Order: sequence, then structure tokens, then C-alpha cells
Amino acid sequence: MRLPFQINAMVGGAIIGFLLLVALCGAFWTPYDPLGISFSDKLTPPGPSHWLGTDEFGRDVASRLMAGAATSVWVSITTVTLAISVGVVIGVTSGYARGWFDRIVMAFNDALLAFPGILLALGLLAVLGANKYGIIVALGIAYSPSVARIVRGTVLSIREREFIAASRVTGNSEIYTMCRHVLPNCIAPLTVLATSMFGWVLLAESSLSFLGLGVPPPAPTWGNMLASARPFIAQAVWLAVLPGLCISITLLGINLLGDALRDRLDPRMRGRT
Amino acid sequence: MRFIITRTAMAIPTLLIVAVTVFILIRMVPGDPAALMLGDNADAESVARLQARLGLDQPLPVQFAVWFRHLLTGDLGQSITTGQEVLPLVWKRFLVSAQIVVVAVFLACLIAVPAGAIAAWRQNGRLDVSLVSLATLLMSIPTFWLGLLLLLFLGLKQQWLPVVGYVSIADDPWRGILYLVMPILTMFLHELGVLLRMARASTLEVKNLEYISHARAKGLAESTVLWRHAFKNSFGPTWTLIGLVLGNLLGGIAVVETVFTIPGIGRLLVDAIFGRDYPVIQGCMLMIAAIYVVVNLVVDLCYPLFDPRVAVE
Amino acid sequence: MQSKLLLVGCLASVLAVPSYADTIRAALNQDLRSSQPGVNRDGNSDTVMAHVAEGLVSYDRGGNVQPLLAETYAVSEDGLTYTFKLREGVKFHNGETMTSADVKWSFDYYLDPETNWYCLEEVDGTNGLKIVSYDTPDDQTFTITIDKPDAMFIDTLARTDCGGTAILHETSLNPDGTWNKPIGTGPFMFGEWKRGQSVQFDKFDDYQSRSDESDGFVGKKDPMVDSIVFMAIPDAATVKIALESGDLDVATIQESDVEEIRANPGLEVGLAWTPVRNTFILQTRDPVLQDVRIRQALAISLNYEELVASVTEGLGKVNNSPVYDTSNFYTEVQQQGFEYNPDKARELLAEAGYNGEEIVVMCNKRAAVPSFNMSVLAQQMWQAVGLNVRLEVLDWPTQLDKYRSGDHMMQATTYSSRFDVASGFEQISGNKDDQPRKVWENPDALELIDQALATLDPAKRQPLFDELHKMILHDVPIIITHNDVSPIAYSTEIKGMDPWTSPMVLWNLSRGE
Repeated sequence: MRLPFQINAMVGGAIIGFLLLVALCGAFWTPYDPLGISFSDKLTPPGPSHWLGTDEFGRDVASRLMAGAATSVWVSITTVTLAISVGVVIGVTSGYARGWFDRIVMAFNDALLAFPGILLALGLLAVLGANKYGIIVALGIAYSPSVARIVRGTVLSIREREFIAASRVTGNSEIYTMCRHVLPNCIAPLTVLATSMFGWVLLAESSLSFLGLGVPPPAPTWGNMLASARPFIAQAVWLAVLPGLCISITLLGINLLGDALRDRLDPRMRGRT
Repeated sequence: MRFIITRTAMAIPTLLIVAVTVFILIRMVPGDPAALMLGDNADAESVARLQARLGLDQPLPVQFAVWFRHLLTGDLGQSITTGQEVLPLVWKRFLVSAQIVVVAVFLACLIAVPAGAIAAWRQNGRLDVSLVSLATLLMSIPTFWLGLLLLLFLGLKQQWLPVVGYVSIADDPWRGILYLVMPILTMFLHELGVLLRMARASTLEVKNLEYISHARAKGLAESTVLWRHAFKNSFGPTWTLIGLVLGNLLGGIAVVETVFTIPGIGRLLVDAIFGRDYPVIQGCMLMIAAIYVVVNLVVDLCYPLFDPRVAVE
Repeated sequence: MQSKLLLVGCLASVLAVPSYADTIRAALNQDLRSSQPGVNRDGNSDTVMAHVAEGLVSYDRGGNVQPLLAETYAVSEDGLTYTFKLREGVKFHNGETMTSADVKWSFDYYLDPETNWYCLEEVDGTNGLKIVSYDTPDDQTFTITIDKPDAMFIDTLARTDCGGTAILHETSLNPDGTWNKPIGTGPFMFGEWKRGQSVQFDKFDDYQSRSDESDGFVGKKDPMVDSIVFMAIPDAATVKIALESGDLDVATIQESDVEEIRANPGLEVGLAWTPVRNTFILQTRDPVLQDVRIRQALAISLNYEELVASVTEGLGKVNNSPVYDTSNFYTEVQQQGFEYNPDKARELLAEAGYNGEEIVVMCNKRAAVPSFNMSVLAQQMWQAVGLNVRLEVLDWPTQLDKYRSGDHMMQATTYSSRFDVASGFEQISGNKDDQPRKVWENPDALELIDQALATLDPAKRQPLFDELHKMILHDVPIIITHNDVSPIAYSTEIKGMDPWTSPMVLWNLSRGE
């Protein structure tokens, strides 16, 4: 029994489409002010006036989730894009150049990889300033070495293949060869990595928040909502479950879409499914 | 043999870069260990005096030279806040974390790699979708939440396991294990999701390669193809990723150790960061980097064992 | 499979909980800094080490200095010589009897710059006062001579951050002069310390207690359990679960957990009122905030009742005065705080020509302080009167750096406790050229604070504190919102709990049935 490929992609696409819609909407309009404090409405369970309840400051959870979607999605997308771009440039040049250049770049790359993300993020955040741009750059830099490593590995493994040699022999420039033949072969591993990374960013921000180093509240993100809900697990379980659910569903959607995309983009798989 | 030597030699510049970067990075971060130790009431003179005693009033290059000279003799200095020798301290804490990470990743691999291969084999089938969904769910629960849920259920509701504390396995093996069950379970569940997705992806890649189709064309049973060719071959890339994951885990374990009050290297590092305990931060980072480098060295050296393609080359 | 799991579970529960019949397990949010009282220390270490080591004098519940190892003490007419009559037959943990020679050894040890005693500057002339000499006229008498009369000297000896100037036996040091472990006279002996995990104190059977009623750090101490284990548990959620599962007996908890813990039949909650002050500090040298009208507008646009009720979950009380509300000096005058008046705040802002200049408030998310929560709530109230306030959330070391250098507009910060009220004023006041961290540099106020520091007589101090209180409400270099109330949860099996300012003082507790 096989689900047709399209359904897979459609479910993923629908989830992501909905997410983007909510994020777009949340950036301009929410039912309540996501920062509006109301002492009398503290920890109200989900009900008619507040569909998804309120938090420990009496702020409307639905509004915060919407506003949080905008921030979280934006931060995640830019971080992943940054990490991938930096990683691809480093990985491709290093893998293609080989020799001493490759060695030096990879020594730096490994050194960066060997840092736990926490310290790198803390150090960079302190230098860059604790705001969402700081988080984007810090996490982007923290994640780019794994991209570089994977891309370089792929480049190394295929650069001696016949079709690359052929491309070169026919007089195509190195850059053209790289773009035309090398990069597409990196897409499969990169899609998997990028979709995982999207999740890592959402979670990393949450964990940093738990350890006291996260994106500064009160502006909501799913990550810091999840972290700050922790003390209220007994009184207000919706505070944790809702942002958690948002993260899970988003990840699921991204993974489904990512797998489908990979199948489409990967030359080796083209036309097989 | 030559490969082993060059590969080992390459680790040295990596560690060197780590040493320098950590040293600079941590000093760029605002915050002063002397002021933190003395608290909000201390006057400027006392802080200056303590700084002088700790050698923090020296210019940075001098501080680095002193630290580096000691480092070459295997001396990582003393903790600013507690006065303990850094090397034994970091090593002891590392061993605590290592037992959690190694057991958790080992168990997770045991399940995730075959499960990922099966999911890939049944790509887009019901089993695949369920496995991927499960993996995604596990991945998307932060470890501090997973840990809390385990504490509530296994510790408080069922009272099966102790909630706080830590006993070294060397002192009391049985109780030692009890204290480790929940942290290991937390890490295990989280890594299960991550590794399953990785294993699935790498199996998918080999699945469609020519020689697999060839094997299939030869008329071999689907299960034989899966086992003999696909699974074995997919282990190579997964193996590389395990190396990456292990390194990352040592950084990420801080959260688990905070939740379960485990005296591991992650918590040591986070506490040291909040106390701006420079020697301890440097010691932890070097230790983590060294372990990471060693693990990846071993991974690279063992790679031919798992990937026939490389062995042939 | 099911039954196998169950079996494992039963086994686990039997083996997991060894008998703690005669042990009290308490939680600290952080491990001890060191076992050296008054040297490498923090608030946790101070209270915990008071179980092991005692000084000549210490505080009662009201924050007054009372004799502890001294039977009595007297000050000479000229205020320069302090004579301590020591109690007879006090034993150290190694069995030796304490004499004035041990006291002298301890003072030699503290005054040696190599020791790095936290309070050395208070008595070596750096901050004014200097110990000229000390002597042992006989085995039971110890005298100290200082260079000028100072009401604060005896308070310095008692201060918890000075380690209570604990009297130690010389075998606390190794033969080579390095620190070994505290050999003191306290009701508990320093036992096994697993760094980063827990420290165990064992009952001292030969403890010689004072006979007067137990009162704070002084009076009768009657160790009844075999041992106390202090466990370092950083995560508040874990502490709560450990209390409920019976893995912990005593712990301070978050205000938001009080209701839940109270609902648990096996647990009780007490409240400890402390002199700790939660505040917003204002940089009076800032271009915007140097206008006193803007500072006043900031102060009166806060609805303190609502703010404090929300931050402390209804447990705390508003107190705008630097005089803490459980102090003897807290009178009707101090009860008169800022008047919440948003309309007047708008007027003041208009008068000052405030035109939406951004005001940045630094805060941090440490679990033990309300800095972040206070800031979120206050931001909302400030914005309501048209103040453009932005929060900057920092990690604590960074914020402390900014605090020490005065490099900020506003900070939500919490001051560690000072029992003496004059010393509490001194904590926030001083010339910023010398000490940039000080917030109040009104010269008239500094004059009055100096007077209060030199005065012993409470009747003469009260008018000074009244005057200072009124001045600070007008100047608004600091907006004090409330004194900390610290909820402490304990198992119903624990008898004798009577929480006060230092809730982790556990020497008179016992385990009932």
C-alpha cells in the first residue's frame, strides 16, 4: 500500500501554506494585543472570550501564537538560508579547490563544528546584541559548518565522476560546471539538513530561552512561549501544549514537503517515482 | 597508515583554533568574574584587587601566553569560583555526561537505523508516514519538556525512579543506574527522532543507486536486497552523521543535566558561563572539542569498514 | 511484559529511596562556593555555613546584633574598645575547648591579606574604620580596639557576608597554610561535600548551646537530626517535583507554585520576609532622566498594588521605602510611598518637555529575582502614560557589568539584604565619580546617611531615616517596589519550622512521625 506521492506533498504544502498565511496575518493583525497585559485574566483556560486561553500575564495565547508564528517563521527561514548559503559557498569552494586551501578551511570548519551551539550562540549574541538579528546570525554561523561539511563531501565524491569530466572537456567553465552539475547533487542531503535545521532553530531558540540566553521576550516566539510555560505545567497545560503542537505540526509539514521536494530535485531520483 | 597520520595531524590545528577562539570569544562577552564573585555590594577597589589576584588585570596577550604555556604542560589552571583544578574537574564531569550520551545514542542507533531503512524501503507507505511522523514528533519536543514529563510520570506519579540527585556508578552500581535512567531516556527519545530521519534519508539515497536495481534485477528477494545491499550501505553516511551528532550532544546535554541535576560537563559549562569562570569554560570547550575531534577521527578511520565504495578506492 | 515492568518498578521504588529517617534534605539553587566562611562566598554559602561556624556576635530575627560565642560584650566610654566575655566550655568540632587564643588566631587569619576575607576593607582602614589592636587579657576575654567610634563596627562582625566573622580552630587550615575544612563550634559539622551535587552536615553531639530562647542566628540551637543534606538543584520545576515525590524535605519555591504546594496534604508552605529590595534604578546622570520631573513621572505612573500583587502572586506587600517593612524603623512615615497618579504623571512629562525619548530598562531572567516580570508589567503601565519604554533582557553577568559601571538608563535589579537600615541606605548611595554603581548622590542625603551610620541610639536614628525616606521619594534615583517574600515549602514530617528572613536555617528542625 503506497500513498501517492502527490498526497504527501499536498499535505506538507497545505500545512506550510497555512503556516505562512497565519504568520503573514499575525504580522499585521491579531485578535488581541499579543503584549497586552490583563491582571484579571491571568491563566484563563481556553473558552469563548479567549479561544486558546491566556498566559501568566493575562495575555491572549491565540494572539501570541499568531504573532509568534511571524517571528519564528521569519527567524527560522532567514537562519536556515544564511546557514545554507554560507555553508554551500565554503563547502563547494573548499571541495573543489582541494589542497592546502581545503585543509585550512576545513580546520576552521571543524573547529567551529566542535563548539557546542550554546557557547557559540552566547558568545556571538553578546557581541551582536541580544535581538532576533543576533539570533539569526549566531545560529546561522553555528549551523553553517555542518552544511559545509556535507556539501564538501558530496563535491569530493562526484567531482571525479564521468559527467563532470565530460562537462569540463566540452569547454564549460568551472563555475558553470559547478552550478550545473555539482550543486544539484548536493540538493538531496541539503534538503534533509535544511528541514531538520528549520526545526533545530525553533528548538534551539527555545532551549536557549530555558537556559536564560534566548531571544528577549516579551515579544513572543513559539520557542520562548514554550520555555516560559514550564512552571505552569500543573495549572495551565495549554500554555505548553499549544506552542509545542505548533512546532510539531510545522516540522511535520516541512519534512513532508522537504521529502517531496528532494524526490523532485534529486537528479538521481528524477522520473523514478 | 599515512592516512591515519595525516588525519591525526589535521586535528591539531583544529584544536589550536578552538583554543584561541574560545579564549577571545569568552573575553569579548561582557561580564567580569571578579565582580560576579564579590556581588552587588563590592566597591571598585575590592574588585580591582581580586582581578589582580586572578591575573585578569594583565593585557590579553599576556593572559593568553600564560594560559597557553600552562596548557602545553597539561595544566588547564584553576577554577576562578571554586579554586578546583580544571583538568581533573572537567574530566570527571565529562565521564558523567559520556555515560549518558553514549548509552542514549547507542540505543537510539540500534532502533533508528533499521527503522529508518525500513521506512525508506516502504517510502510513502503507511509505515513510512507513521515512522516519519513519530520521528518528527520526538524531534520537536524540546528535551527540557520531555525531561519534565518523564519526571512527572516516572518520578512523581509512579514513584519508580528518584527525582533528584546523582550517585556514581562506581560507588553503587544499582542506584547509580537508577539515577541515569531518566536522563538517558530523554536523550534517547530525542535522538531517536533525529537519527531515524537521517537513516531514512541515507537509505533512500542508496536505494535508487544502480547496483541495487541490478541486485533486484538479478531476482534477489526484496528483503535480501534490503539487508545485504541497502542497509549495509546506508550505514556509512549514517555513521558519519553519528559523529556529528555526538559532538553536538555534548553541547546540548546541558539542558538534560539541568533538569535532572546531573553533575556533567554540560552543566559545568553553563554554570561557568554564568559565572564567567574563564579557565573552566576554556577547559570544558577544549575537552568537548577534543572529544569531538577524536570521535570524528575514529568515524573517519572506521568508515571503510562500513562503506565498500570507499574501501575499493 | 506488563508484569515484568511492574516488577522492575517495584524493585526500583524499594531501592531508590534509602531510609532518610534522621536526615533532612534541603534544596539550594546552586552549590556552595567554598567551605571557607566569609572568603569565597555567596548568599547560599553564608546561610549554610552558619550551621557549622559561629562568630562572637550575630543577628536575631529583628536584625539586631546579639552575642553568640560571646557571653556578653561591652563598649568603652570613648567607643574605641570592645570587650567580649567568651562563653565557658564551648567546644570545637575536633573536641578542643574554645579560648580567647582561638579568637585571636581567627582574627589573625581574617586580617591577613592572604586570606582574602570578604570584609577586610571594612576594618583595615580602606573604608574608614581600622582595627588598631586586639588582645587576650585572659582565657575568656577578648578585646578589640578601633581607631574611631563607629556604630557599624559590631554590625560588620555580625554580617552574614563577612561569614559572621566566625571563630575557627587553627586545624581548619592544612599544615602548609592552605584551607582544609571548617572546624567551627556550630551545631553541625562539615561532612561529605560532593562538589556540584550536595553537601552533608553531621550533628555535633558536643554542641554547647546558648540557653536563651532561639532567635534568628542566636539563642538556643538544638540539633535533633543526625544530618542535613543540602542538594544543589538549579531547576525550580525539578525542585517542585522532588518536594511532591518526597525526595526533598525543605526548599524555597517560586511564588507561582505556592497554591499548588499548599494543596498537597504532605507539604506546608511558610513565608519568609526579607530585607531584600526589588527595585528599578534610574541613572540620574542620563540626559533624559536627569530631569527629576521625568523620574517622578516614572515613579507615580506605576500601580504598585497591582504590580506587586502580580509579581508575588498576591503574597507580597508594597514598600516604596529603603527601610524594609519588617524593620523596627519602619513606621507610618515609611508606609507613605509613591502616590499612583497617571494624570499627574502626564502633566509632569508635559512640563518636562518629554517628547517620546526612548527609555531603556535592563532586566534579566534569573529565576530567583522578579527583574523580568516587574519590567514587563511596568513597561505596560509606563506606556499607558505615554512613556516610550523598551526592555533589554540581558544575562545577569552582563547586567551586573552595566550596573557596576553605571552605564544604563534604568535597570530592574534586586539588592542583597542588609539588616542594618543605615547600611541599607549606604548600599545605594554615594558619589558616582568614586563608585559609579551608586544610584543616589544627593550631598544632603549622603550627609544624613553618614550621621546615621555613626549613631547607635535608635531614638536618634529614627528621625534621620524619616528624613531620608522623604528625600528619596522626591529625588527618585530609585523606585523600590517591595521587599522580597520568599515562600518555603516543607514536608509535614518536619517539625519546628518557623520561617524568617533566612529560611534555610535548619538547626532546630526535627523529623516527626
